[in-house]
Amino acid sequence: MASSIHVPRVNNNDDEVKLVSLRVAVGEKIRRGQLVAEVETDKAVVEVEAPVDGFVLGILANVDAVIAVGSVLLWLGERADESVPVAASITEHTSATGQPTAKARQMLHEHRIEASAVAASGDRLTVDDIERFLASRGKPVAASAPTRAVETVPDIAGNLRDLRSEERGMIATVTWHRDVAVAGYIELEYDPAAWEAYAKAFAERHKLLLSPLLSLMCWRLVELAEETPQLNSTIVGNQRYEYSAVNFGFTVQAGDTLYLTVARDAQALDEIGFVNAIGELQRRATTHKLGPQEIQGTTISFSSMARWKVSRHIPILPPRTAIMIAHAVSMDGRSVLGATYDHRVLNGFHVVTALRKLSKPNKPV
Amino acid sequence: MIKVIPGFQRDSFGKPQIGLDDTSLYAYGNLIRRTEELILDLFSRGLLSGTTHTCLGQELCQMAVVRALNDSDDVVLSNHRNHGHFMTYSGYFTGLVAEIMGREAGVCGGYGGSQHMAFRHFHSNGVQAGMTGIGTGLALARKMGKGRALVATMIGDGTLGEGLLYESMNLASIWKAPVLFVVENNGIAQTTYTQDTIGGTIEARGQAFGLLTWHLDDSASDFSQSVANIVDEMRNAGRPGMLVIDTRRLGPHSKGDDLRDEQERSAIVDRNPLTAIGKRLSPSERESIETRNAAFLREVEAEALASPEARFARSPEHALRSARASNVAMQPAKAANVRGAINAALRDLLSTDNNVIVLGEDLHEPYGGAFKVTAGLSSDFAGRVISTPISEAGITGAGIGLALAGKRPVVEIMFADFLSLCMDQIYNHAVKFPGMFPEVEVPLVIRTPCGGRRGYGPTHSQSPENIFVSVPGLTVIYGSHRHNVGQLLADTVRRWPNPTVFLEHKLLYGEAQDPVDYSLVPAHAADPGAELFPTLRRGSATPDVTLVSFGGMLPLVERAAKRLAEEEELEVEIITPSMLAPLPRQTLLSALLQRSHIAVVEESHHEFGVSAEILASLAEAGYRGKVIRIGTPPAPIASARSLERDQLPDEQTIFSNVLDML
Repeated sequence: MASSIHVPRVNNNDDEVKLVSLRVAVGEKIRRGQLVAEVETDKAVVEVEAPVDGFVLGILANVDAVIAVGSVLLWLGERADESVPVAASITEHTSATGQPTAKARQMLHEHRIEASAVAASGDRLTVDDIERFLASRGKPVAASAPTRAVETVPDIAGNLRDLRSEERGMIATVTWHRDVAVAGYIELEYDPAAWEAYAKAFAERHKLLLSPLLSLMCWRLVELAEETPQLNSTIVGNQRYEYSAVNFGFTVQAGDTLYLTVARDAQALDEIGFVNAIGELQRRATTHKLGPQEIQGTTISFSSMARWKVSRHIPILPPRTAIMIAHAVSMDGRSVLGATYDHRVLNGFHVVTALRKLSKPNKPV
Repeated sequence: MIKVIPGFQRDSFGKPQIGLDDTSLYAYGNLIRRTEELILDLFSRGLLSGTTHTCLGQELCQMAVVRALNDSDDVVLSNHRNHGHFMTYSGYFTGLVAEIMGREAGVCGGYGGSQHMAFRHFHSNGVQAGMTGIGTGLALARKMGKGRALVATMIGDGTLGEGLLYESMNLASIWKAPVLFVVENNGIAQTTYTQDTIGGTIEARGQAFGLLTWHLDDSASDFSQSVANIVDEMRNAGRPGMLVIDTRRLGPHSKGDDLRDEQERSAIVDRNPLTAIGKRLSPSERESIETRNAAFLREVEAEALASPEARFARSPEHALRSARASNVAMQPAKAANVRGAINAALRDLLSTDNNVIVLGEDLHEPYGGAFKVTAGLSSDFAGRVISTPISEAGITGAGIGLALAGKRPVVEIMFADFLSLCMDQIYNHAVKFPGMFPEVEVPLVIRTPCGGRRGYGPTHSQSPENIFVSVPGLTVIYGSHRHNVGQLLADTVRRWPNPTVFLEHKLLYGEAQDPVDYSLVPAHAADPGAELFPTLRRGSATPDVTLVSFGGMLPLVERAAKRLAEEEELEVEIITPSMLAPLPRQTLLSALLQRSHIAVVEESHHEFGVSAEILASLAEAGYRGKVIRIGTPPAPIASARSLERDQLPDEQTIFSNVLDML
């Protein structure tokens, strides 16, 4: 029967030793008392001798390896052809097969998705799996910006109210703006006469009842996004992520609810198609009938407060976007175009250039 | 300004010169007696701060040894009943009276009061036998300095019940340290008679340890001369001694606790040796001395009363001395293992500074300490790497004495669990001196291996940092294999002149010392020592969880962090301080306040411990995130490895607890 030589304990305080030399080879016949190996701690080298005569059946460590005291160093047999006993393998901890990782679990919770709805690509359900699932469901990953603040209920009496989805969206937006973007703001005054004339002519040509002025300015921004991909991008790690589509965000105030409506794939439309799409979104917003696709995943956006005659407003950047245009007309009739922008993506020159281009139509009336 | 004492000159270092003639002995003894009576009078007028212990009746006994000490480096260590020793050593009467009254003019500005005074080489402390190990250390330093100075350690018969005394006598004996243990045997403790508390004889105790031993009675007519002869003999003997003096106190132990009957008290009055000397003088001379002394003490009283109540300009936040500069080269950041790094640092310290002295049990070659940390040092630094008896309190006390004498002692305690034996020396002595006396430093370093996972059981496996971080004024350093442990030790010994416990986890000794990708957390200027003893961090700057840990827990924390990242896709940050006390509070808060989830992981019994302090600081700073602490529950650590594994937090405990928190 095969017998084993174990890694000796050199002193009380070292549980591991280093194998510094092996003096025998597999198949070799050795004598009791023969030196088979030397092991070392940082204090001493100790020789390992064969306790009995026999044949070396197997050696379980390589020279220079650090090995555990008490583990089998080599097997000896009475015959050279004996088999080495196979030790039962012990797994240290059971891995949670198919279970979501902790990070994935947080993400499922954030998106209110059941783990069973998402297919795991490997042993565990991962963040990648969920991102793929969200993308396939059309829910843009861009919309998720986790809120990290952990808050407790104030110690003054009150009641907790659930937030509407657009209010929760606003928290994500504001939090991303605060925690991630490096926001800057620039504005300039412009003469609205050219845009007004262009919009008037456009309305007449297409027999529109409502002024298409803001929609046309937005369309101009879609064109600029196509010309300058940087405007329609964000930062991921140390790289810029330029979106393939222009998902155009446009704020609509419906009663006391502020929507950031989204016209998806705006670049695929033409001018009148875009104006109609914006009009349709506005109509649905006023009746609160917007689908999830229509209020998330913007890549570039536009907000006008001309209705309220404010002289300036500085928008919060929607998550993972580089710029949001702020349009205003003050009480005294001055027209202002401003922009909140992520300074990681754009600098002042980029923004001023874009604002100047946006301040007049690029086509004659 | 110390007043001139009428009738006495001072020697070149300011000590009153008291002759052996009846006039001198009576005059100074009477001055001590009248001062004690003044103190009692001030007490009854409600003018003292706390209580006091007078030496009424023991004046000659208290004077005799101290008056005979005439080397400027001689040391007097005293106890609760120290006024006579102090007055004889210092001649600073206003300093004494004002100190006991809690006035600014007190010798220690009111900080020490009656029982804790410091003046040149005079120190007293109110813990019985507490100063005996310290005296032995001071004497060892004097012996190393090759001078002729002695240490006189004053104790009472009551102190004979304390174990530390015997450790100290034994250490003094084997080190041939010039210390004289003076037992003032007044026959009674507070109210209990000595014959009811002492087995055997007092001298036999000294003789058993090989001490030169004498027994005198302070009522003998040649008493002071005999004591002077003994002090001379001690100066030439090159070994320790014990002098037992039979004496009697006239007054109570403290105040209102004299239960002796009238007959006994009147016998003590009749025996009184000071009164007897007075009777040998002519009545006119006696009267003239007493009149002169009374006038002097009226001035002392007036000065003390005129001194304002002691006030702090600003109540001290801590009593730590700031770090010293050093131009010695740094220890290498990487080392084959932590044991080697500490060994190299000790070697460097011993070879660059002759004041560095390493002492502990079994340190010598070829053994080199229980964990081989001092391997090779005793042969290369003979006389400065000292194997000691198994006397943890005694060698800690000796370390304090060496530190007070300007040495840089590094005491090794074989297992951190045994620090409990050193507690009085740390808690009531090492940290008290620098706290109370601005001119005193105690640069004592106590190194000790701690921690479990070796199956050593309940008294050899503990991580007692939780106890020691709560000692005011004590620094606790506990590095990991990611810190430069050798440099931490070198800086503690060389640059941090404060009493320090330096913890070393047994399992780290074999770990490679390597900072890998850790970086420094910027030290906050408000944290004392934070620059010298750095906090390190690694991992995500926007973590899902931050693990705060230290010392021997760190390798397990790293393994748990790896699994949290690899198996659970979490972003993990690790923050690891090397100094636990004083807590680098602002440094840690700056690193932690913006984090969402924090787990503090430690191996010690963590209730009331380091994690509690860190998390309390976060709570006070308004932190609103989620926290957990992971440590060892309050039950003894088992010996069986399987049981121990269940008790001490490990990789799996951290992993599961963090997942539960998220």
